[in-house]
Amino acid sequence: MYLTVVSVNIGIFILLALSLNIITGYAGQPALGHAAFFGIGAYTSAILTTSYGMNFWLSIPFAFIMAGIMGGFLGLISIRMRDDFLAITSIGINFVVVAIFQYSDFFGGSLGISLKRPYFFGMKVTATGYLILIGLMILGTVLLILKMKRSWFGLALSSIRNDETAAASFGIDVNRYKVLAFTLGTAIAGMTGAVYAHHMTFIYSSDFAFIVSISILSMVVIGGIGTIRGPIFGAILLGAAPELFRFFADYRMIVYGGLLVFMMRFQSQGFLGYDSVLVRAFKKLFPGGLKKKEGEIIG
Amino acid sequence: MLSQQIVNGIMIGSVYALTAMGATLIYGILRILDIANAGAYAVGAYAGWYMYSVTENILLAFVFAMLFTGIIGVLVQKFIYFPIISKPNVIAIVPLITSVGLFTLTGDMLRLIFGPNVKNMNMTFKINAVEIGNVRISAEWIFIVLLTATLFFVLWFILNKTKLGLAWRATAADTEIAKTMGVNVHISMALSYVLGYGFAAAAGTMVGVLYNSIYPTMGDIPSYKMLAIIVLGGLGNPLGTVVAGIVIGLSETLVSAYFGSIMPRDVIAFVVLIIVLLVKPSGLVTRKNT
Amino acid sequence: MGELLRVEGLSKHFGGLKAINGLDLTLEEGETLGIIGPNGAGKTTLFNVICGVLKPTAGKVVLDGEEIQGLPSYKIAHRGVARTFQISKPLKDISIVDNVVASLGIHEYTGIRSLLRNSHKRETVDKALEILERTGLLEFKDKLAREVSLGYLRRLEIARALATNPRLIMLDEPCAGLSNFAINEVIDLVMQLKSEGKSIVLIEHNLPISMKVSDRITVLNYGQKIAEGIPEDIRNNPQVIEAYLGEDDDIA
Repeated sequence: MYLTVVSVNIGIFILLALSLNIITGYAGQPALGHAAFFGIGAYTSAILTTSYGMNFWLSIPFAFIMAGIMGGFLGLISIRMRDDFLAITSIGINFVVVAIFQYSDFFGGSLGISLKRPYFFGMKVTATGYLILIGLMILGTVLLILKMKRSWFGLALSSIRNDETAAASFGIDVNRYKVLAFTLGTAIAGMTGAVYAHHMTFIYSSDFAFIVSISILSMVVIGGIGTIRGPIFGAILLGAAPELFRFFADYRMIVYGGLLVFMMRFQSQGFLGYDSVLVRAFKKLFPGGLKKKEGEIIG
Repeated sequence: MLSQQIVNGIMIGSVYALTAMGATLIYGILRILDIANAGAYAVGAYAGWYMYSVTENILLAFVFAMLFTGIIGVLVQKFIYFPIISKPNVIAIVPLITSVGLFTLTGDMLRLIFGPNVKNMNMTFKINAVEIGNVRISAEWIFIVLLTATLFFVLWFILNKTKLGLAWRATAADTEIAKTMGVNVHISMALSYVLGYGFAAAAGTMVGVLYNSIYPTMGDIPSYKMLAIIVLGGLGNPLGTVVAGIVIGLSETLVSAYFGSIMPRDVIAFVVLIIVLLVKPSGLVTRKNT
Repeated sequence: MGELLRVEGLSKHFGGLKAINGLDLTLEEGETLGIIGPNGAGKTTLFNVICGVLKPTAGKVVLDGEEIQGLPSYKIAHRGVARTFQISKPLKDISIVDNVVASLGIHEYTGIRSLLRNSHKRETVDKALEILERTGLLEFKDKLAREVSLGYLRRLEIARALATNPRLIMLDEPCAGLSNFAINEVIDLVMQLKSEGKSIVLIEHNLPISMKVSDRITVLNYGQKIAEGIPEDIRNNPQVIEAYLGEDDDIA
């Protein structure tokens, strides 16, 4: 039971890391407030099911759409204004969203929101049920990203990440694709929030604070930005560490912060990036074992 | 009532401006959005608190906070940021992620060293509050406003009246051209960090004195308000930062005084930022040379 | 064969600096127009304005009878204008062949629907390989763009421009910084495009190269046209000689 609950939590981090990676890894856009959209999804779902009696399953697409709309809107106004602005608005939105959740009675204010466990064909959803649900969501997201990597959409994001002027010179509407990447990534975070809220059965504003955004970013960066394996590995590593090593829980943020600085300074591709030390060593041991994949970020 | 609110707004705005000045100076030279400045703000507050609790001398506390944090700034610039931005093919988010990491690291280090509890910085001032008409300014505020004005004057003097400042302005205008003119851009970068982290430290100590509380996460809210201010001020423009800081301070004070609970106080800066940029995308004050 | 491109009274000012000042140009379909001029004459600014990277201060750019000035660059690309960059802008962290595939997709970037459309269909990749073969890059197809040298990146610029199947190709100093051998290869490539009837605008700092390739040459200085004509006339124009003698570049 304990193991299952921990696995669900790690699964949630995997989804958050994979979705942030669409924005930061593939499109190369700084997004420092991912937890805000996770929170928007969680609160959307929680309010729909508690105040409006909506079915949990139906609330998932609503959470997806609501977070995506907010993300797209923020992306749109940020990008229209100036290039480096997204970094700032994305941090800002995180503090703003948390402040509003905490301040407004509509969002439960300082009491948070308590939720009931949902049913699935008459059966209460158990931890195992959530694990299967999260597993399916991860599978779906991975398939979507795989599809994206071989699509014109993925190629547009790669082009933008590398050189926006060049991308525009062969017909890519750079702003539109940035906003689309932002919308897609935040929508997946919102969907994850819906599951989180009902899995925890209680949500509170600080569950979605800026440090949560930093944790998600750390998972992506430490695992390997712009790959699929990287964020999954990062989420498992950083998600499991506090459970495996009790002492780690107390030093978590210092480790995340230190790792972010260390990785950027010495290994900006993360542990499992295309050209990282580990992957190069692996290739030496097993030549031909890991094939170079087109469209994989390595910068 | 209104005049009191305006004075309050300007005073808190000048502290905001001081908080954001470091980030402005650093952006001006290195084009990095250095969120870690908010870490320097908290580190500075602790340094000031420590010195004050040992010596009970407030001026010494400020000087120590600024020096200590300024030196950290130079070390961070030299051993972390500079090697990162000097790498070939570095993408813009790398230094940004670095600064997020540094910010997280410093906040948590403070928690581990000093504990999560609030530290008090209880001071008594020999001067009394001043009353002009129906505007009342407390002793703490008189001290803080004078200190802020002095620091801004020192900054203005360094940037406009010294060789060091000339080199800094040349580097900010165009690093490559400055290099060909024989400016040592490393010194300009170091200057940005000494002054930048030093100013953030002074601002942190001030806020500590003002609210009589110092705690590890005190840099969180300033981290994004600071960024909002430097964008409003036209990114990398010291004068614009002062204007933007005061605009944010005034908006916060006036909105919460007259519209009460329309939104949480810390949300106002963000709303003002979005509104101003929708109207004038280049910020409140635009640089002449760009 | 009619007029393809017309630039009318075009100006681009940066503050007090008049990078382009009241410029008129025309290009016939199938023609190769050389643009020469000393450093800072406004050549690259002209390209950036025509391609929508910069908005003009005044004047018109007319492509095939339609005004295109001020349009965003991706729309100008959709209308059949392709350009190369003087400072190569490769997509560094993807392979050479993917660089060309990305460019082949010019009309595929339709928004969210493009998520479901495969970018690496056999015929697309084959087309990319064909372009790589034409531009002499085939052996590097799987290398990442950041792993190849400057000379090949220059060719990649041309390959990417070709991949958009343009009506007008604008080349910004494709030979700058290359060895003599590589220069000849680029010239051969441009001559080949010319023989296929492509319309080309070529910025070239090196006068002999421009004379060899161009049907007509326009000379810019300080953002204005100081001479125009067939290469022989330009060679003997005293104003051109003066503009160039101020520099240490050699005239053949």
